[in-house]
Amino acid sequence: MAAIIKRKSITLPVALALAGLLVFLPFGSATEFSFRSFSDDGKMHHSLSPYRWILAQPEFLSHLLLSFKLAAFAVLITLLLMVPTVAWLHLKAQSWRPLIEILTILPLVIPVVALSIGAQAAFPSWLQSSEYELSFMYVILSMPFSFRILDIGMQAIPLKTITEAARGLGANWPKVIIYVIAPVISGAVAGAFFLTFALSLGEFTLTSLLHWDTFPTWVTSVSQQNIIGAIALSVFSLAAAFALLLTIGFFTSRARKQSEEAE
Amino acid sequence: MKTGTLLINGISRRFGQTVALDNLYVEIGAGELVALLGPSGCGKTTALRIVAGLERTDSGSIHLQSKDVTQVPAHQRNMGMVFQSYSLFPNLTAVENVAFGLRMRKVSRSSRLKKADELLELVGLDHHSQRYPHQLSGGQQQRVALARALAVEPEILLLDEPLSALDAQVRTNLREEIRRLQLSLGTTTLFVTHDQEEAMAISDRVGVMNQGKLEQIDTPDTLYNHPTTAFVASFVGTMNKIPTKLSDGVVDIFGKKIPVLKTGDHNGDVVALIRPESISVTSLSGSSNATVLTRSFLGASSRVTCATSDGTIIQSLTNSSESGELYPGAAVWLEVLNKEVLVSNA
Amino acid sequence: MTTQFQASNKGVPRQGGTFIRRNLLIAAPLIPLIAYLAIFFFWPMLVVLLESFKNNNKEWSLINFTTIIRNPYNLAFRNSITLGLISALTASIPGAIFAYVIELRGSPKLKKIIASLSGVLANTGGVPLAFMFIAAFGAQGSAIVLLKHLGIDLYSGGFSLFSFSGIVVVYMYFQIPLMVIVFSPAVHGVRREWRDAAKNLGATPLKFWRAIALPLLFPSFAASFLLLFASGFAAYATARAMTVGNIALVPLVIGTLVDGNVQINQANVGKSLAIGMVVISALAMVPYLMIQKRARKWQQ
Repeated sequence: MAAIIKRKSITLPVALALAGLLVFLPFGSATEFSFRSFSDDGKMHHSLSPYRWILAQPEFLSHLLLSFKLAAFAVLITLLLMVPTVAWLHLKAQSWRPLIEILTILPLVIPVVALSIGAQAAFPSWLQSSEYELSFMYVILSMPFSFRILDIGMQAIPLKTITEAARGLGANWPKVIIYVIAPVISGAVAGAFFLTFALSLGEFTLTSLLHWDTFPTWVTSVSQQNIIGAIALSVFSLAAAFALLLTIGFFTSRARKQSEEAE
Repeated sequence: MKTGTLLINGISRRFGQTVALDNLYVEIGAGELVALLGPSGCGKTTALRIVAGLERTDSGSIHLQSKDVTQVPAHQRNMGMVFQSYSLFPNLTAVENVAFGLRMRKVSRSSRLKKADELLELVGLDHHSQRYPHQLSGGQQQRVALARALAVEPEILLLDEPLSALDAQVRTNLREEIRRLQLSLGTTTLFVTHDQEEAMAISDRVGVMNQGKLEQIDTPDTLYNHPTTAFVASFVGTMNKIPTKLSDGVVDIFGKKIPVLKTGDHNGDVVALIRPESISVTSLSGSSNATVLTRSFLGASSRVTCATSDGTIIQSLTNSSESGELYPGAAVWLEVLNKEVLVSNA
Repeated sequence: MTTQFQASNKGVPRQGGTFIRRNLLIAAPLIPLIAYLAIFFFWPMLVVLLESFKNNNKEWSLINFTTIIRNPYNLAFRNSITLGLISALTASIPGAIFAYVIELRGSPKLKKIIASLSGVLANTGGVPLAFMFIAAFGAQGSAIVLLKHLGIDLYSGGFSLFSFSGIVVVYMYFQIPLMVIVFSPAVHGVRREWRDAAKNLGATPLKFWRAIALPLLFPSFAASFLLLFASGFAAYATARAMTVGNIALVPLVIGTLVDGNVQINQANVGKSLAIGMVVISALAMVPYLMIQKRARKWQQ
C-alpha cells in the first residue's frame, strides 16, 4: 500500500553528484593539505606529522577538555530548565505556549555579536571572570533549537492523557515523571542533548568576543603559527561533528517512530 | 454524462520482493459500481492507482471504452478520483478546488465556477463554497473531493477508500449519498475499500482480493450466500469455523452428515464454515450438545454464543421471539440448516 | 522557521479575575525559564540599548548613532547588508531545489544523512569551513595547485579567496545547508495526494507547480530567505577566519572594537552598531510577517 512511485529519473543522481562534488572539493583539498609537511630543503611531501604535531600540543587536550566541560554544563542547564518547562506547557499551560515560543525564538533573530556586546557590558565581573559564563550563554544560543526539539517531541505523544492515566492509577508526581514522562520523551531529550552539546562545542563568535579560549578559538589562533595544523584540526572537528549529528538524527528519528506508533 | 466500460486486463505489479498484484482481470460495465474489497496490503489500491495512471503496471493493460489507455499519462485519462483524505488543495477554496479540473482543461472562469457551484449544490455544500479545506469537516472535505472528481465529467470514477478516515455516522450517510449520485449520473465507478459492509451496501458487484489475486467477483448476494473460496467466506460476513472430519465428500457436524460444496480435495481434518443464521439453537428436547455462554439482543434477532462439549465456540443468529429460554448456562441442541457446506484446511 | 499557533488558546474559559488568577498560577512553573531569559538575554540586550544612547560622559546622547551612519561604519553596514542579500540569494535557490529533489526522490536513509551533513555545515561549519577553503583555494591550496598543473592560474585571473566574492562562495557552504534544513519541512508538507489529485484532474507537472506547489511553498521560501539573510548578515566566525581586515563588515568592526585593538572617540559606538544590527535583523522579519498574513487564510 505504502509503495513509493519509483520512476527512473536522473534528477536525484545529478543533484547528488553535484552536491557531492561541491562538498568534496574543499573537504578533499583540506584532507590532502592536512597531511602536508616540508623537509629541510623545502620540498613538500605527505605524512602524518601535522596530526602528530597536534597531539604534541599540550593545548590540544586542555582546550578540548575545556570545551567538553563547558558543553556538558550547558547541556545540564538546558535539560533542567527546558524539559520541565516544555512538559508543563503541554500538560497545563497550553495558553502560554505561543508566548514561550516567541521568547525562545528571539535568540535566533538577535545577532550573536550584539548579544556578546551585551554580556560584556551587563554581567558583573565575578560572572565574567568565570568560564561558566560561556555555558550560560550557550544555553541561550541553543534555546531556539532545544525548545523546538522538545516541543515537537512532546506534541507527538498524548502526554496529558498518559499522565492522567498514571495519576488515576495512583502514581504520585515524582513517579509520573520518572516512570511515565521521562521514558516516552527520551528521544526528544536525547535530540536536545546532542544539539546543545554540538552547538556548544563549535561556538566561536561569543567565545572569542568574550575573550575566552576554547577549542574552536584555539584552532583560529593555531592558524597564525601553523596553518596546516589548523586545517588538520578543522578536518578533525568537522568529521567529529558529523558523527555527533548522525547520532542526533538517529535519536530524533527513533523518537518520531515512537510517537508515530503512539498515535 | 458520458460514461464508459473499463477493462482491467491481467495487470501485475511487484515492489521489490513483494507481489502487490498478480494477473488481475476485472471487467466493469457502463454505469456499474464495482468494489474491490480486501484486507490492507492485498493490492486493491495499487490496482486503482494503475487504472488512474498514477502507478505503472509490469504487465497487462487497461482499456477504457475498449481503447487501450495503458500508455496514456494520468493527466490525459479523464478519470475522476477521490482519495482517502487530505487531497484537497489547501490554498484553494472549496469552489476553486471543484473547478480545478476544468481550469486545467482551459474552461473559461465564469463557466467553470458555474459548473463547480452546481456540483457543490449536488453534494449539499453550496453554502460553503468560499471556505478553505481546513475550515471544513472531514465529511465535508470528502464531499468537495467527490464534487471535484465529478466536475470533469469523468468516463470513470475511482474511489480510493474515500470513507475510511470518517466517523461511523458520517461514513454511512456519505456512502448512501455516493451511491445515490452514482446512480443518478450513471457514472461507471471503481471503489476500493477494506470495509466489507461498505462494499456490500452500495456495490453492484464486489471483487474480493487476497494477496494480489482476485478470489471471487460477484453480486453482494452471491458473494455472501455462495462464496467459492474459504477466504471469501470468512472475509465477507461472520463465519463459524467448526472442526470436523471429511470423508468421501461428506462431513459430520453435530451428528448430521452434510455434503461438502467443492469436493475432491483434502480428506481428513477440515474446518466447516457455517453462517450464524444457518445454525439453529433449541432448548426443547431432552438431549443437548452445547451450552449457552451469552445472548445479545440485536432487535428482531438475537446473537447467541454457545460452547460445544469439545470447547468450540459457535455463534448463532436466532429470532428474538424464539430465544427467550436461551439464557446463559442453558443446555441446548445445535443443528446445521445447510444442505451443503464449504470447508477449508484445518 | 514555521511557528505553530494552532490549538493554543483552547480550553481557557474567560472569567475575569478568576481567569487571571488561575492563569498566573498555571504560569508559575514557567518562571525559571522566563527568569533565565531575562538575566542572560533580555538584560544584556537592554543594557546595550540604553548605553548606545550615552556619550563618553554617560549623558543621554545620539552621538553614537550619528557616528555610525558615517563612514567607515556606513560602508560596513552596506557591505554586510549586501553580503547578507547576495549570500541569501545564491544559497536559497540551489538550496531549495536540492531540498525539493531530496524530499521527492531520496530514500529515508539518504534524507537522514543529508540532514546530518547539513546540520554540521550550518551550525558548526564556520571556522573549520574557512580553513578548508584556505586549503583548497588559498594561494598554496590543493585545487589551485592542481589547476596550475592543468595550466589554469586562477590567481593570475584576479581571483582571491579573500575578496568579497571569495567570502560569498565560502558563505554558500553554510548557507545552502541552512536552506536545506529550514526549507525541507515545507517541501515535506506538500502531500503526495495533491500531486496525484492534480495529475488526475488533468494537470501537467508544470501546471501543478504553478497552481499548487509554488503558492504553497512561497511563504516558507520567503521565510527561509530572510533567515538566510539574517544569518549571512550577522555571521562573524567565518568572516573573522577568512578576512585579513581588508573588507569592512559590521560584525568584524564590532569584534575589533570589543578587542580594544582600535582607539575610538566614542566608547559606546560598538553598542550602537550592535543595536543597528538588531534593527536590521528585525526589519528583515517585516516582509516575513506580511507574507505570513497573506498565507494565513488557508493555513490551519
